[in-house]
Amino acid sequence: MDINLRIAGEAGQGVVSLGEILSGALAASGLHVFTGKSYMSRIRGGLNWTDIRIGSSELFGLRNRIDLLTALTQEALDLLKDDLNPGGIALLDGEAPAEDGLLTLNFSGISKAICGSDLMANTAAAGAVFALLGYNPDSLKNYLSRIFSKKGDDIIAKNCQAALAGYKAAAEKNIKLSAVPAGGVCRYEQLISGADAAGLGAATAGIKLATAYPMTPGTATFNYLAAVSDKYSIVVEQAEDEIAAVNMVCGAVFAGIPAMTMTSGGGFALMCEGLSLAGMMELPLFILLAQRPAPATGMPTRTAQEDLKFALNAGHGEFTRAIYAPGTQQQSYDLTRLAIETAHRCQTPVIMLTDQFLQDAEKNIAPLDDKYNPVDRHLCSNSNPGYKRYALTADGISPRAIPGGDALVVCDSDEHTEEGHLSEDFSVRIAMQKKRMAKAGGLLAEFVHPEFFGTVNAGITLICWGSTYGPCREAVEHLNSEGSTAAMLHFSQVWPLDRKICREFLDKSRRIIVVEGNYTGQFASILREQQIISNHELITRYDGLPFTAEYIVTEVMK
Amino acid sequence: MKNIAVADKQPAWCPGCGNYPILKTLDEALNELNIDRRKLVLVSGIGQAAKLPHYTKANVFNGLHGRALPAATGIKIANHELEVVVTSGDGDIYGEGGNHFIHTLRRNVGLKLFVHNNQVYGLTKGQASPTSDLGFVTKIQIHGVILQPFNPMALAIAEDCSWVARSFSGTPEHLKAMMKEALNHRDGMALLDILQPCFSFNHQNTFKWYRERVRPVDPSHDPFDREAALRLAMKFGDEIPVGVIYRSKRKSFESQLEALKDSTLVSRCN
Repeated sequence: MDINLRIAGEAGQGVVSLGEILSGALAASGLHVFTGKSYMSRIRGGLNWTDIRIGSSELFGLRNRIDLLTALTQEALDLLKDDLNPGGIALLDGEAPAEDGLLTLNFSGISKAICGSDLMANTAAAGAVFALLGYNPDSLKNYLSRIFSKKGDDIIAKNCQAALAGYKAAAEKNIKLSAVPAGGVCRYEQLISGADAAGLGAATAGIKLATAYPMTPGTATFNYLAAVSDKYSIVVEQAEDEIAAVNMVCGAVFAGIPAMTMTSGGGFALMCEGLSLAGMMELPLFILLAQRPAPATGMPTRTAQEDLKFALNAGHGEFTRAIYAPGTQQQSYDLTRLAIETAHRCQTPVIMLTDQFLQDAEKNIAPLDDKYNPVDRHLCSNSNPGYKRYALTADGISPRAIPGGDALVVCDSDEHTEEGHLSEDFSVRIAMQKKRMAKAGGLLAEFVHPEFFGTVNAGITLICWGSTYGPCREAVEHLNSEGSTAAMLHFSQVWPLDRKICREFLDKSRRIIVVEGNYTGQFASILREQQIISNHELITRYDGLPFTAEYIVTEVMK
Repeated sequence: MKNIAVADKQPAWCPGCGNYPILKTLDEALNELNIDRRKLVLVSGIGQAAKLPHYTKANVFNGLHGRALPAATGIKIANHELEVVVTSGDGDIYGEGGNHFIHTLRRNVGLKLFVHNNQVYGLTKGQASPTSDLGFVTKIQIHGVILQPFNPMALAIAEDCSWVARSFSGTPEHLKAMMKEALNHRDGMALLDILQPCFSFNHQNTFKWYRERVRPVDPSHDPFDREAALRLAMKFGDEIPVGVIYRSKRKSFESQLEALKDSTLVSRCN
């Protein structure tokens, strides 16, 4: 049992603030909450919305249609009212006369009566939504008291008053949603976005320098790291461009601290030479790449999974890398930690591919561990005067020392000897290229197995990666409840791939469908090339919007 | 297949190249100041000058073309107790890395930047560099350079770099004095632009050409006087001032970072 609330209006009108109050209060009421943001690349005007999906069991994605629409403008109402489910309610902020199926309440008026301005209009609207859902206003008031606790009793009292006034104004209309999930079923109150979960993972893993040139949707993680930088002793530096951002990280990890940079496709394009540098110098470079539709500037505030093959092939020359792709907020945290550890263990660049949908999507989950628990940097002592940074080894991994001790650490972007000095010797070149490529074995040794969900030996297996985890999982549940036998195989490590392990999951499925957010089916193509699948169907989406279970089920049934 | 490892150990520079005295002078300056090579990191980009770190004893980060400064900044953030010296050419620092040059000056990172400025591209064989004189004819600029020459001194003063000086590879004693003063400089960035002839590709700005033009800055010049410094920085022609041109009391980047207040970041990674 779940419903979808949508709050829509112009940029700068309070769509986000109202969304935050409501999603927080609903999570505090013991509901499972999953939120998503849809916004335009502008600071004022346009049409933005926040979706808040609430349910009596765990939620993994968004829905297409709306059960309760809160429109802050007439335009938002006009554009979105067709998406209302039968029996759904539209609530308009304003003074327009009510029409059929429409409830109009003047939140600014309520706010002005209480505090003299429309500062509390959002709180009043939240009260009205609670009334339309039939929830107890006390839990909203308790939540408001908590979040405004530092602002003093007067602010708390007025907000509670505004919430109650909004609640009463809606309750007087005697309209309620008929089927609403019961609260008190989820004990996790804290909502966290994919962006913040990745940031927390990085901070606890021991990142000491975070650099970026701001670019949506990577910026959300950069913001998070800045906010916690004093707590975790992180230097957060806004670089003059992405080239500087990646080269600062290369310098910092050379000198011994874990460091990262985050960006989106266009910024990552500028980082490619730095990525290649990390391949040559064997530096533990970690890049968070949050995808959005491209080419070029594309759709800056929308979502996509278009950069998989780019991330896989970025950087001139041949070198190893690992690519992770989280599917949930929990995985954003876990895989960020793992990515930083892997980069250090194998002395190779590691990329985490996420996207706007997951970066912005919030969910109330079991609290993530915020304790500082740094990953192993896999360093050797730097006290040996005869140290060779690139000593040849069987697994390709040379003991890594950092500057400051008797061991001089020499790193070169040219081909180099074991000592790190530049060389044009052909036999040196062959030995070094073999050594660097041998690290693929170390990357595969700790391959993150794909996650299987659903019916064993299913008629339909949906293969997905990254943020399509949730929508695919819900699609599988839906298909199984409708009499199909379906399963999902979700990849959170998309490179390198262990063929044997992957094939074990797929051998008996009759219909394999790869689901991904791009035009060409990039992951499907990689799976074919790696001989993991041969015959398959493809469900793609490239309009800039996230997948939903309904979208996938409709495509499967076609 | 011929093993050419021996050739790798010899400097890749032409006989008579200004890089030789720069290398020798740098070694002398480091030795005379008793700088611990274990705590020294030489950072460079790409170009003939950028090969210098391979021919002496230090920790080395020989990175990408134009990207020495952001890498050096990252090193300084990780461990601000390391002595970080960037040695690279005019093409690398002023051309390919121009944006980083501007913003590293703005940050005032506590690194020493020694730019080997021969006003020409050596490694790619003779094209114009950002500092090439107007009218300088090359295989590419066949009618002569028409772009305004880049003025690193004036730009550094405009961005309030904390120590700005110029020297000439043909006057090793002056060069050594400047390098030592730069190495002793604390609290912020030290930029030393080193004029250097290129015998193979620059037949206009020759050893003789520089020697006839360089003039030590008058002892009465107050480097903390920004306007006077800017007037000196604008001189490049019949007379080229060498010496400390500008100083400022600006704080260094790393001294203002919250996270570095107590100790180096690298010492707090466990």
